[in-house]
This record gives sequence, C-alpha cells and structure tokens, in this order.
Amino acid sequence: MRKPQPNSSMREPLLYRLRAFVTKPANLLLVFFLCVLAVLSLMPMVTMLTNMFTIHLGTEKRLYRMPTGSWTLVHFQKLFEGSDWSRVNFWEPLKHSFIVAFGAGILGIAIGGSIAWFVTRSDLKCKKFISSVFVFPYMMPAWTLALFWTNMFQNSQVGGGNIGMIESIFGVCMPEWFVYGLFPMIVVIGLHYSPFAYLLIGGILKNMDATLEESATILKASRWTIIRRVTIPIVMPAILSTFLLIFSSGFSSYTVPVFLGSAVKCYTLSTKMRALIQAGYQGQGYIIAFVSILLGCIILGINQWFTGKRKSFTTVTGKSGQVSLVKLRKANWPITIVLIVFICFVAIMPLISFALESVIRQPGNYSLSNMTLHFWIGTEDSAYETGMIAGILLNTTMWKAVGRQVLLALVVALIVGTSGMLIGYACVRRRGTRLSRFVESLAFFPYLMPAMAFGTIYLAVATSENFKWLYGTFALLVIVSAVKFLPFASRSGVNSMLQIAPEIEEAAIIFGVPWHKRMLRILFPIQKSSILSGYLLPVISVMREVALFTLLVPYARYMLTTMLFSFNETGYAQYGSAVTLLIILIIMLINSLTNKLTGASFDKGIGG
Amino acid sequence: MKRFLSLLLVLAMALSMTVSASADSVQDALAAAAAMTNEELYEKAKAEMAAGAQLNFYSTTSFAEKAANNFMAAYPELKLVYAEIDDVETYTILTNTIGSGVKDSADMALTQNGPDLKTYLLDEGLAYTYFPESLKDVVEEKNQDPAIVTYINSLLIYHNGNGSVGLTNVWQLTEEEWKDKVFFKNPTNETVNINFLIMLTSPEWNAKLEAAYQSRYGKAWEKGEFETCALEFIDGFLKNVNYTYTSASKMAAGIASGAPGNMGLFVFSKLRKVDEADRSNLTIVQFENAVEGFSGFMYPIYATVAKDTDCPYTCALFINYLLSEEGFAGEKSWNSSQGYYSPNKTIQKPEGLDDQPYEYWTDCLVFEDLTYINDHFVEVYEFIATRVG
Repeated sequence: MRKPQPNSSMREPLLYRLRAFVTKPANLLLVFFLCVLAVLSLMPMVTMLTNMFTIHLGTEKRLYRMPTGSWTLVHFQKLFEGSDWSRVNFWEPLKHSFIVAFGAGILGIAIGGSIAWFVTRSDLKCKKFISSVFVFPYMMPAWTLALFWTNMFQNSQVGGGNIGMIESIFGVCMPEWFVYGLFPMIVVIGLHYSPFAYLLIGGILKNMDATLEESATILKASRWTIIRRVTIPIVMPAILSTFLLIFSSGFSSYTVPVFLGSAVKCYTLSTKMRALIQAGYQGQGYIIAFVSILLGCIILGINQWFTGKRKSFTTVTGKSGQVSLVKLRKANWPITIVLIVFICFVAIMPLISFALESVIRQPGNYSLSNMTLHFWIGTEDSAYETGMIAGILLNTTMWKAVGRQVLLALVVALIVGTSGMLIGYACVRRRGTRLSRFVESLAFFPYLMPAMAFGTIYLAVATSENFKWLYGTFALLVIVSAVKFLPFASRSGVNSMLQIAPEIEEAAIIFGVPWHKRMLRILFPIQKSSILSGYLLPVISVMREVALFTLLVPYARYMLTTMLFSFNETGYAQYGSAVTLLIILIIMLINSLTNKLTGASFDKGIGG
Repeated sequence: MKRFLSLLLVLAMALSMTVSASADSVQDALAAAAAMTNEELYEKAKAEMAAGAQLNFYSTTSFAEKAANNFMAAYPELKLVYAEIDDVETYTILTNTIGSGVKDSADMALTQNGPDLKTYLLDEGLAYTYFPESLKDVVEEKNQDPAIVTYINSLLIYHNGNGSVGLTNVWQLTEEEWKDKVFFKNPTNETVNINFLIMLTSPEWNAKLEAAYQSRYGKAWEKGEFETCALEFIDGFLKNVNYTYTSASKMAAGIASGAPGNMGLFVFSKLRKVDEADRSNLTIVQFENAVEGFSGFMYPIYATVAKDTDCPYTCALFINYLLSEEGFAGEKSWNSSQGYYSPNKTIQKPEGLDDQPYEYWTDCLVFEDLTYINDHFVEVYEFIATRVG
C-alpha cells in the first residue's frame, strides 16, 4: 500500500508559515539569540547542574572515596539530611538570604519608586539635584557602601570597639543590630539598588500617558485611588522586574554579608557557598547556587505570569504626551528638604567619607596633621606601599587597569545594550509565543547565577582543550561580562518595548518603512531614555564588578576593581578609598559624556 | 636505503620520546638541577630564556615580587613575570591552568595551605617538588619536600590600653570574660586558620592542651561531651571568637585603634601596616610572658614547579635564590619584616626588628603538618564548620 504523499495543498501552508516566519525580523532575532544564548547562557547552567551530581577532586574524593567525576546524590543527602551541618550550612543561611533579599527588594522599590514618583509626577523642588545625585550609590560597589556604613556607625560598644564618625561627632553609640547583621545588610543592599528602581520605574512613570490619570480625576477618583488603581498597575511590570533584579542581587550578594554579617556570625547562602567550595565541598556549593537560581526562577515565573495576564502595558500610544504634575503645595519644601538630607546622607556622605579616608594616615584621626596626599600623588617608595609605588595617580599599573576597565565597560555596553534592545523588541513583538518566552528566560538566566559560580564555570571552559586560547584574554572578560549583564539590558528592552503600542510600528509598516528605519527612526527615539539606560547600566555594572573577574583576570591588578578588592582585603584602606572615588568619578564622566553626546543620562531620562 | 630507514626510525623514536616525555623531562631536569651549582643553573636558565621562555610565577605574597626583582637584578639575562593571586582562588586557578596549554600559565607557584597543595597539585601530578642538594645540610628535612621558602607566624596580640590582660594559659580564651573579645579570621574562609585548628587535634597538641587544662583548672581533662581535649578547646574558643575583621591587616589596625583589652590571633607581619602612632598600643603575648598551650601558629609558603614548565632550570635557580641569604634577606625582602622566617638555619633575623629567630618559635607555636591535616581534614573541618555558625 502506498503511503499518502503530502499534497501541494498541505505543503503550501507550511511553506507560507515558514516564509511568514522568516519575513518577520522579530522571529529571526529570536532564533539568532536562541542559538547564541543556548551556548553562552545555558552551557554554564548545564555545567553547574552536572557539578551538583559529581565527585570533585580534593575533599569530596577523599571523603566519599569515589573517583573524580563519578555520579552521586551524596551532596544532596549531606546538605539536606537534617543534621547540624544542614542547619548551619543551608537552612539558617537560606533564611537570612531570604530576609535580606526580600527586605532589600522592598526597601529598594519603596525608596527608588517613591523618589521616581516625586521627580516625575509631582512639582517637587530641586529635581535636577535629586535626580543627578540619587544615582551615586548605584555607581559604587556595594561593599564600599557596607564599609561606609561601618565607618559611620561602628562604635566603642560593638565589634572591635573602633570609633566611627557618628560616635566621634555626636557621641552616640548605635546598638549592635543597627551596625552589624540583617538590618544593615537590608539597608545597604536596598540603598545600593534603589537608584536602579528609580531608573526603571521612573522611566515608565515619565512616559506614562497623562490622560489615564486625568480621566480618573474627571471621574472624581481620589489621589490615592488614582495611584493605587491607575499608576501602580501601569508601573507594575517595572516594579516586578526591579524586585526580581534586587531580590536576585541581594540573594547572591557576597561581599556585603561578609563585611556586615561576620561580626555577629550572621551568614547567608552566598557566604556559605563560597566557604563550602573553598573547603572542597563543590557539589554542595553548587547546590546552593542552584537554589538561588531556583528562587529567582520562581519570581521570574510570577513576573511572567503577571505580565502575561495583562493584555497590555502600553503607556505610549502617540495620543498624548502631556504630563500633569501633582501639586505638593505646602508639603513641597518639607518633602524636598527631607529628600535632599536623605540623598546627601546616602549619596554625598560616602564620597566625603572615601575622600577623607584616602588622605589620612592613621585610621579614625581626622586632624589636619594626620592628612597626606601620599596615597594620591606621593612619589617616594614608603612604608605604605604594597607593590605599588606611592600615589595611585602616578602609578602606571593603576592607569593600565583603569584603561582596561573603561574599555571593557564600553565594549560590553555596546554589545549588551544593542542585544538588549533587540531582544526586547523581538520578545515583545512575539509576546505569548514559546520562542519569545524561552529567549527572554535564557537572557535572564545569567543574572540568577551567582557571579562567583559563573566565573568558576567560565574558568573551566576557558582552560578546556578547545577554548584555551581564551584564557587570560580581554575577550574572555568581554564574553563573560556581556552574558552576565545582558539581563539588565534585556529587561530594560522588554519594559520599554512593552510600553509602545504596536499600532505605531504597524502604521509605518503600512507605509512600507523598512525594519531598520522603523527601529532607528520610530521606536528608538520614542523610548530613547529607557533604551539608553540599557546601554548605560552595563557600564556601571562592569565598572564595579569584582566577583566575576577574580578568577578570570591574569593577575589581581589587571582590572581596577580587582585591584580595589585587593587593597581592601590587604588593609590598604587609603588606596581602596582613593580607587573607589576614582571609579565613581569615571562613571560620572561617562554619564556626563553620554549626556553631552546623546542628551541622555542615567538621571536625565527621568526627571532632571 | 637501510641507512635511510634506520635514520628515519631513530628520528621517529626521538620525536615520539620528545612528545610523550615532556613531563618526565621536567622531573629529570629538576633532579639534575638539584645537584648543580648556581653558575651551572644560570647557564642552563639562559639557554631556556634564549629559547623563548620566561618564568611566570604565581604567588599569594607581595614580598615575592620584590624577591623576583632582586633576582632579575642578580641574574640580568633571566625574565620573571609575577602574578599575584588571591589565597582563596589559588588552587582553582592552578588546577585549571597547569597542563592546559593556556598562555602564560604558571611555571612555578609559591602557595600556602600544604594539604591543598598536596591534594590538588602534587597528588594529581600537576606540580613537582624541588630542593637543592647544596642546602640539605642547613635546612631541616621536614622543610625540604615540598620546599618551604618561608614560614609566617600568627600570634596572640592584644590592645594594651588597660595594661596587661594576664593571659598565661590558652584555656582562658574559652572562658566567659573573653566572649567576643578574641578576634580571628573566620576559619572557613581562611585556610591557614582552619589548618591551625585541625593541627590542635594532633596527639602532640592534644596532650599539650590537656596539660594546660590541668594547670588551669587543677584537674585532669575528662572525656565527656567531646571526644578529645582539643575538640573541647576548639568548641570553647570558637564560641568566644569575634569575626568582625575580614583580613589580617584590618585586624591589626582595628585592634590597635579599637577597644583596650581586645585580643587578636593574626599574622605578625601585618603589624607593619599599623600606623606608627597606634603600634605602641599592641603587645605580643609571647614577648610578655610564656603561655601554657600555645602563643600562636606557624604556616609555610611552599615552592613547587609546574609539570609543563618550559624553564625548569630557571625555576630551580629561583628556588635556590629564595632559600639563600641573598634572596631571603635582600633589599625589602621577607627577612626585613617581622614575622617571616627562613627555613635556612644560617639566615638570622636582623637586629633591632623586635622579633626572634625561627628556633625561638618552634616550641610555642603550632606548626602546620600537611600530612596530618590532609589525613584528618574532613572529620575536623565538619566539627569546626558547624561551630563557626
């Protein structure tokens, strides 16, 4: 019996579908990013999963008496068996990590979102100052904020009894829970990421169609009802995305818990992961890394469920561009003053503190006689040097490290910003399809993976037979950073594209405008501030990243941040403070140059 | 034709031997180097450099860079490239790079934490040990394989703002009055600290702790909740320990400028990073009075040669140099600082440094024994890790 042959009428729909598929740029982009991300993003995931089930060289091999590489479930048994080991290495740190991540997420959104609302939707005074200065904490490495916190609040009653600025000036001793432990961790991580919430939520609020709120006002809805029923639902995707990003960052934060938790023996999963891997319990370490990814996935799922549930988050329709500002009336100046004081404390004080710390010889002594510029411009080889010859501004190793860090930031920003925008476009235009969901998730996965685990896996890849040409090269840092920081840009891309009504592009299609012109002449200009934040955020991330680079740089002084961490670890606080200040100045310079060249900046896109 | 075939066969054999025996040739070269004079080694090293080699050496101690600079000044035709690596990442980087063929991987490494050196590098055949014949008489045998180029000590040091703390017995550190006043780097993050605690469980140190217990409490230690006296000490000590400071340098500076009476167990050499104005606030317990039990601990820095180095003779010459007076006590090198001790008995600490020679510390400090730690790591690590919190 002859098999039935597909007739032409059956083939044609398939061909039509295929042709229709490839003629849509969004589909081609999704396929392209699917292939690239499957290799660069999924591969570390697979490697990590494998590591959870295998025996590693060293402690595990000795303990379990099994050959390296053999498959086992013993790591799971050990970590979850319910003993003291399990409690100390998993359950208690899990609880702490969850509290810190959740608290930081809420705090970051509360602070960043509130300030974003005041700046974009009210007639608040001094917006330009508030908008420009509030982003400073995000430019600093998180652990430097932790150092600032201890410099400020440490006192003779806690820790090592070292006197901080508050006790020194006001004679006030803050209690231990305020200086060390979960509370300062939440505050520091929340403050560090609040500018991020400010940027993402503010971008949406700024572009929100005012007629939506005006309609509610006409219908006599109260101000609170408008915020609750109109404003918040519109910014909800950005709030959820921001919460997800802060939660994941807080959950995998390593340096902040080390600096603020060690004194009171308060450990998180990331500190335990590092300790376990270091002691040779790699399998258990990777299980912990997987747990943090799993939690991130759950929040990602909630986020996708929410954004999928709503038909549209369109705020840019082309119908109205007017923004009506809420009048704060008598409360205006008091609110402005409170915000300025708060922002000065979290954004300006750390800079003053770093500047002071970089010019004093003896810690805690701020008298003029104790000050020196040696750590900046000193030329003699003194007792303070650490392989560095005197001041950082006169040191060639330091300038080379600056050059590499800036170049890396710019290259990564270019790659990541462009990819993020294209992923955002493709995912939004094909929203609801399996392919779109998969690419969006793949682009986000690296963010959920702790930077240290990510670096370890890429080290193994770069030293394997086929990729050894990559090891120790600048290209490796570019690849790793681009993959790790793509989530920022892809989130930013998705959020901005979600706001643009498809009718705008469809109108251009009807007029036969080619795809690249639609992108460059219509979509990009409409969402310029939001898209440019996708370019600028990786610049900041690269400029302050450490954990990702530690294993991949050829030596500690290769990058500015690895050098900074080395200074902080070896106790050269003055050099460390000077380099921190330098990093912030470089980021501000890049921000300002971008502003001059494109008219956009971290803050200007929102309210400055 | 026969001659041609024979020649071809010999060439093929020679080629196959060259390809398959590079690891052996490094070991052979190191074995040969051990018997050579420095002049002979220099000639061999120059030939390696002429063939395009350079010695990439990885180290966790910044003093090694100064030693390398001094070495290049002494042997101007040799090129050393120093790469500083973090202690925590050392073995991850070395196990991934040695033998992988990546550019500029380590030719030799100066590392701490002997048990990991043994497990990750030596037992896996990734690195070889080397020790020169000429120094065997002046360096104790236990310091030769793997070669120890320097010892570093961590000592009990306190803030003397309230006068002497009167520490005469280590068991005092487990008592309530020292709660949160003993500063120590978290042993699960600091390998040499965990090695020190594991060493306390060795029969020798367990016995010393039992004796100190008897002396402090007037009765012999008895087995109860804990299997050994050392485990009870570790439990009590860790209950009192404060982990505020995350590096030895910060601990030194922090205790010097912090609350009087605080005690730290940290690297002695870090006192050089304490501002001079604060340095007089610190007292080294051992210099004040002997302590029953111990006054601190001593850990080594080992030198090993990578299995795929293309300059084994240069590595050998550099190790010889580090073990010599010229290398160890050269300008701004280890010997110029407190807390570094050459295993070479002919090298003494300079006068006026407020330090003591290596021999002085042998009875009062807990020395790292890589074999013991390697054999008992797992059981004691888990005991400690669950108590760190």
